[in-house]
Amino acid sequence: MLVVLAIIWAVFYSQSPAYLSFQNLTNLTLQIVTTAILALGVVFVLLVGEIDLSSAVLSGVCAAVAAGLTVNSGLPLPVGIAAAVAAGMAVMFVQAQAVMFGVPSLIVTLGGMVILQGLILVVLPPEFTISVAGTPFATIASAAIPAGTSYALAAVATLAFVAYRLFQYRERLSTGSLASLTTIIVPSALVAAVLFGGVFTLTRQRGLPMPVLIVAVMLLIAWYVTTQTRYGIHLYAVGGDREAAQRAGIPVRRMVLYSFLVLGACAAVAGMVDASRQLGVSVTSGSGPLMLNAIAAAVVGGTSLFGGRGSIWSALLGALVIGSISNGVQLLGLSTEVQYFATGSVLIIAVAVDVVLTRGALLPGRR
Amino acid sequence: MTVDSEPQLSDPSDGGPHSTPLLELRKVSKHFGGVRALHEVDLTVHPGEVVALVGDNGAGKSTLVKLVSGVERPDTGEIRVRGQHARLDSPRAAAEAGIRTIFQDLSLCDNLDAVQNLFLGQERHGPVWSGRRVRRHVMEEQARRVLESLSVKLRSLNTPVVALSGGQRQGIAICRALISDPAVVILDEPTAALGVSQRGEVLDLIGRLREQGRGVVVISHDMRDVRQIADRVVVLRLGTRVAEYRRGGYTPSELVSAMTGAHEPSDD
Ligand SMILES: Nc1ncnc2c1ncn2[C@@H]1O[C@H](COP(=O)(O)OP(=O)(O)OP(=O)(O)O)[C@@H](O)[C@H]1O
Ligand SMILES: [Mg+2]
Repeated sequence: MLVVLAIIWAVFYSQSPAYLSFQNLTNLTLQIVTTAILALGVVFVLLVGEIDLSSAVLSGVCAAVAAGLTVNSGLPLPVGIAAAVAAGMAVMFVQAQAVMFGVPSLIVTLGGMVILQGLILVVLPPEFTISVAGTPFATIASAAIPAGTSYALAAVATLAFVAYRLFQYRERLSTGSLASLTTIIVPSALVAAVLFGGVFTLTRQRGLPMPVLIVAVMLLIAWYVTTQTRYGIHLYAVGGDREAAQRAGIPVRRMVLYSFLVLGACAAVAGMVDASRQLGVSVTSGSGPLMLNAIAAAVVGGTSLFGGRGSIWSALLGALVIGSISNGVQLLGLSTEVQYFATGSVLIIAVAVDVVLTRGALLPGRR
Repeated sequence: MTVDSEPQLSDPSDGGPHSTPLLELRKVSKHFGGVRALHEVDLTVHPGEVVALVGDNGAGKSTLVKLVSGVERPDTGEIRVRGQHARLDSPRAAAEAGIRTIFQDLSLCDNLDAVQNLFLGQERHGPVWSGRRVRRHVMEEQARRVLESLSVKLRSLNTPVVALSGGQRQGIAICRALISDPAVVILDEPTAALGVSQRGEVLDLIGRLREQGRGVVVISHDMRDVRQIADRVVVLRLGTRVAEYRRGGYTPSELVSAMTGAHEPSDD
């Protein structure tokens, strides 16, 4: 998929050099933030072999809750944020109960989506919009970390990564496992390149935008949890073979519930970041292509619809691919059809690749 | 310890080591609705002994496995582990009693690698503040030791097990059972889906379990397997134990007629 991304960038760059300008790359990053955060939550649900259609609308509801409490009721921002996250998790908790009861998640969340579309009308005040312009709520998106601090953060993150790798290296040596220093040097160099390259690009204008930091921190936590912990192994086990996981004593139902709760929290954050960027919440918050883009991002990035395969990076990668297409189309002033055609095609190709990888062939029965 | 056992109906002169049986079933019965799946079945397994459980389809073999692996509970009768009465109410309870079962489908997660499968559900992990960080190096080291003890050869511990051969997968499933160092290992049809060389591999594995002094129960339909590895053969038919033979004390046709009831061998 990195290749696909490179091709997309090359094509648009050849049409318009402005495509890879610092300014446009920053725009692109900010455009994909909402999709990436939501896709991250979707990845957790896909990994246990479920699906969700309701989280985009839920993100609108959560944003309405947060904006209503902070802007209209005047409560402090952290209270609003906490309430939104709690609301997101509560809604997902209810839906997960239905899923664990045996109703297919596709149906539960389809129904949930419709119900939430009604709920947002209830949560919003009678005029059906909340403007957050000029309020502390707007600073979620508008705040920026000064370039100097950003570089320092990148340096600290790189050092932490190197230290963690060294720690693992020494652990492996202590039990006589194979361990090679290249497993430290190469990834560390890569991490440093990405972090400093990213900070360099994104601080050209007025420092590192806050949403970028939010995404980065969420990805970091998700990476640790899914790849380094027992929870992570169980997450993949449940997606790989529920029966086997159950027999191994893994609480399958609880793992499914956890995934939905993670998605609920991600939806809340995505909704608040989006509302803060759009300077308001309205009936249409979370509607439109957001849901499909988030699912498409996860799948295009390489997370399987059949569960058990994929990684949290697919959220970022897929969101980048999809965002890059729409950004390029808009930059070149092409018509919207082109964007839909290209995004749809990339999605279908990605799913075809997924099916081939999972089943060995596109058509069942052929080997 | 515990010499309270009255003389057993079966195996009066068991060839195995003179020790308390690791596992003992006494007059165990199990009904499913109106179906009599097991009727007053006795079974003993000694350390370092391979007991084959044979019988036609529906004879009750899988039911017996389910009882001793804690999946089902017997209606009547008693299960004893190392001479002590045992309540095997759940797979976990059976595992804690030292009984591990390798089901026919192996129950491996195809998308996980060998180490993750070996430790699935019993991962070695760090404290809660670390988010229960998996101690991969410890697991890898232990995995390598267990795999080596049964001479299971894998090219890499990090590839998903879906890419491995049937014999290797069976090997991983058996090694997984060994992680908790069980006294009794039960295998349901371990060679059913395997080719000739892999079948030999698995039979060797079972031989090594015996050398390690474990009690082994093998369910098999394959008379060659049974002849080759079993120290004792227990024949079930329609839920009752109809015959029992020691190694070398039977001919293949005797075994088959006991299974099918062609001409009754002094029992039932
Ligand atoms: N869960 C169940 N509910 C109802 N009947 C059952 C159940 N499990 C087993 N039985 C019945 O109990 C009897 C013994 O079945 P069991 O599966 O133990 O036989 P088996 O020896 O393993 O046969 P096979 O060689 O076909 O695997 C059969 O008549 C079967 O139909
Ligand atoms: Mg059976």
